[in-house]
Amino acid sequence: MTLFIQQLFNGLALGGVYCLAAIGLTLVFGVLRIPNLAHGALYMLGAYITYFFLTTVGVPYIAAIGIAAIMLFIVGVGLERLVFHPLRNSPHTHHMIAAVGAMFFFQALAQAIWGADFRRMDTPITGELRILGAEISAQRIVIIVTAVIVLALLALFIKRSIHGQTIEAIEQDRVGASLVGINPSMVSMLTLGLSALLATIAAGLVAPINLLSPTMGDALNLKVFAIIILGGLGSLPGAIVGGFALAIAETMTATYISSAVGEAVAFIVLVAVLAIKPNGLFTKAVQR
Amino acid sequence: MNSVSRSRRRRLSAAAVLGAIALTATACGGGGGSGEGDTVVIGYTGPLSGGGAAYGENVKIGLEMAIDDLNADGVEVDGNPVTLELKSLDDKYAPSTAASNAQRLADQDKAPVVVSPNAGAIKAIQQINSGRSNFLISAYTSDPAIVQADNPLTMMIPPNFESYAEEFSETAMEHGGKKLALLGTQSEYGQQWTKSIKDAWSEAGGKIGGDNSVDYATVSDFAGPVSKALSEKPDAIFVGGPSQPTALIMEEARKQGFKGSFLVMDQAKLDEMATVTKLDNLKNSVGVLPVSEYEDPGTEDFLKKFAEKAGEKKVPTSETALNYQGIAIIAKAMEAAGTTDDPEKIREAISEALPEVDDKYKVNGFPDEITEQGHLLNPNLEATFLNEDGKYTKVPIEQVSDDK
Amino acid sequence: MNPMKNPRIIGTIAVIILLGLTPLAFAQENYAMRVITVGMCAAIAVYGLNIILGFTGQLNLAQGGFFGIGAYGVGLLTTDYDWSFWAAFVVSVIGTAVIGYLCGLIALRTKDEYFAIFTMAIGFIIFLVISRWEPVTHAHSGVNNVKFPEGGGLIDFESPVAMFYLVFAILLICVYTTYAIRRSSVGRTLLTIRTSEDLADAIGVRVGFSKQLAFAASAVFGGVGGGLYATVVGFIGPDAASIDKTFEFLMFILVGGMGTVAGPLLGSMIVTFLFELFQDFQAYRFIVLGPIIVALVIFAPRGIVGYLGGFVDRRNRRRRAEEARGADDDLDSTGASTSGGTGDHRARNVADGIESGAGRTGGTPSSEETK
Repeated sequence: MTLFIQQLFNGLALGGVYCLAAIGLTLVFGVLRIPNLAHGALYMLGAYITYFFLTTVGVPYIAAIGIAAIMLFIVGVGLERLVFHPLRNSPHTHHMIAAVGAMFFFQALAQAIWGADFRRMDTPITGELRILGAEISAQRIVIIVTAVIVLALLALFIKRSIHGQTIEAIEQDRVGASLVGINPSMVSMLTLGLSALLATIAAGLVAPINLLSPTMGDALNLKVFAIIILGGLGSLPGAIVGGFALAIAETMTATYISSAVGEAVAFIVLVAVLAIKPNGLFTKAVQR
Repeated sequence: MNSVSRSRRRRLSAAAVLGAIALTATACGGGGGSGEGDTVVIGYTGPLSGGGAAYGENVKIGLEMAIDDLNADGVEVDGNPVTLELKSLDDKYAPSTAASNAQRLADQDKAPVVVSPNAGAIKAIQQINSGRSNFLISAYTSDPAIVQADNPLTMMIPPNFESYAEEFSETAMEHGGKKLALLGTQSEYGQQWTKSIKDAWSEAGGKIGGDNSVDYATVSDFAGPVSKALSEKPDAIFVGGPSQPTALIMEEARKQGFKGSFLVMDQAKLDEMATVTKLDNLKNSVGVLPVSEYEDPGTEDFLKKFAEKAGEKKVPTSETALNYQGIAIIAKAMEAAGTTDDPEKIREAISEALPEVDDKYKVNGFPDEITEQGHLLNPNLEATFLNEDGKYTKVPIEQVSDDK
Repeated sequence: MNPMKNPRIIGTIAVIILLGLTPLAFAQENYAMRVITVGMCAAIAVYGLNIILGFTGQLNLAQGGFFGIGAYGVGLLTTDYDWSFWAAFVVSVIGTAVIGYLCGLIALRTKDEYFAIFTMAIGFIIFLVISRWEPVTHAHSGVNNVKFPEGGGLIDFESPVAMFYLVFAILLICVYTTYAIRRSSVGRTLLTIRTSEDLADAIGVRVGFSKQLAFAASAVFGGVGGGLYATVVGFIGPDAASIDKTFEFLMFILVGGMGTVAGPLLGSMIVTFLFELFQDFQAYRFIVLGPIIVALVIFAPRGIVGYLGGFVDRRNRRRRAEEARGADDDLDSTGASTSGGTGDHRARNVADGIESGAGRTGGTPSSEETK
């Protein structure tokens, strides 16, 4: 029983990691329908820049994440201008391959600057909590809580703020939105920038429980796509449910069946769900 | 009208991009290849980008250091001075790319020797290195399958990993207890190690829990797999993959209250692990001996040169040190064979060359013989036990045969 | 028009003849022969992708997985079970077809992004099975000493040249099949589905069945490419089935030109060549290659074949325009902005507008080649 509770918390923490990583992608893929395969690379870049400010420059942890997030916002806008904007009327295949090109570039760049060695990022959030006999580190609790808060804020931002509403308007009807004076270019830039910013926050929080390396984003990339597709594209609650559900499924199958099945379970669940509900769990009205 | 000129501009820029590519292409094509006078290319194909890049870089540093030192000392083959030159290509850990690279190094750069640091790649290269093309593989892997293949042109550098299992099991059992949990990485090499440890552990009369191996490269949070392994209340845990993630796993296990001993696969180096976690988390572990603990005649100088080259912070590992030795052996074999372009003769001359190698190149358990199948054997192989005081104590290892 | 006068067909044939002659120049260069032969194996799988993605418009991200099934089928059957290459090859291809068909049954229930990610999951599951099912696939240890094809005493396939021509011959069959599909009613059916599934459905096309066939066919091509790849390289590891392979294939087809006959071949060869070329930069090559990939996608969105095709179209149009101008001298270049043009001229302007618009909108196919 202790094992079950321990693994439930581990699963929740992993779910927090997945959700945080998925948030930025939900915006770009879910709302703008750009399958940004370079998202993992942005996450990686965010982690390295946070690391740079934290370790090399020596600013406090939260400030380091903040500075890195702003820098990544600019990188995100640049990526939109240079790569996705020229491709705005192309099919997905083009976006995907262009994003792969960008990912290659970012990874090689990070390796050129910081080297291929793994690096460890320290965090001031230390200590463990003991709940019902299960042990969980404070950093992981921060991850879970931040994931939920950030997703809720994002939902609020999209529903309530002017900028957020423009994103939703573009999502629903690109032409109509431009007719009422919304500039689709501005919205795309905002969205890409925001997604890179969110990826950096995720990376800054998650990196201390793992390691930094130029390929650290690869492990997340596939799973994160699985999560937002499972939840239903463009659905923020879907991303939360998808993230936590897949993480818990993964931890539990690894515990009670085998680690090999645990590794595959995210994709098996995805295949099973889509076989029954071809548009994901929380489908919005299908829009073409 | 405007749109037409725009599309024309686009076409022009497209042509410009394609043209630029073509230009770079020809420029690069002209650049490589031609060597001057008596330059001999030592080929290297390894993972220089992607997940294995750190490993590939470590090997490359050893090769570069050896070639610099050898050139400074002067290599003379058949009365002519010879300059060695390293040519490295990236294979991203993919065996078929490695084989293409090796073929290219042999064809275009006339490399008589190609270094490769992973078993899959070596197996793929063994398909092409004796026959239509001929070159010696300087094989950095401890998987004996590559010498079992009876390839006449393979030189295997590190000790057979199967040698460790028995001694590791006994030491860990002595300091921990009878129950073992398996938490190695899911790579080609990790899977083989897991199997070998499993066999040795049961043979020594221990009990083994379920196989909790996970792919260290794709796990985002090690807490889950560690909790699972600890739920079986093991006395000892087998871990191992690249040093840094291994260190994280051990740290997590200690955090979750594990008090027993660790068996650390040879891919992970205890001293390198100490750079990412506290030494406390690593105590009570049996693993391979850190390079800095060797007392070979050249070790001290090697450590100094390494620090100069790679920086004080970087820990020298056996990937660097053993490949440093390996190239020195090959250079000496070229001298003994009196040829730089006949890999068969170079391979034959290795056993003759071994005693001739200068002491400065003996840094990490220098071999004194090469088996018929091409495996370099170090007479006194040692592993280490990191005790409760944080001291490395040596554990002598008896080497097993490479035969199946 | 007489097909022999169509520059596209002439171009395709020229490329094929050129490729077929490479052994004359490189027979002694094991490296070049190897890279080209491996590139052709990939090209075969890319032709499969061309059917489902290029013709039918469905982004199938499981192609690397099907390539892996073909490779492992041949690899395991010729080594552990000691079958002859040919028997193993045929069985593997049939196996891939069956698996592909079954995957298609479920996968094609989904659409668009869902289909892409769904097939990516299938590809990843195939990779996981290969890399974790140790007792059968040897997992990461890989499959060593895959047999060469048996030449029956006539041909020695251990020779790189013989191997080259074997792969080349099978590649030719794929190119011809692609050409035949494009010209047949099947091809037009698939292209209709690409344009609009609803439209296709409305005019009585069996959308589901056609997509199903296209998916299975693409898997078969993947299996054929993988099976040949296994015997060409002799050793295969799980990376033969990895998701990276899929993206490699996508890159090939995109650079070459989707939905074209010569595109997959040209793309595979050119990208392989580029990657080999930049090897000298080792780890840093992607600092250069990454932006090149992005630039190719942006500036030649219809691929190299589409790009060259654009020149042909413009030349044809210019020729037609000149003929028309000869007949009607009053109209000069200002005619476009005046309203006094003949109906014929206006129609041409409309066509030009569409063409230049298509140049901007990138992937939207516009010429008769792709539509």
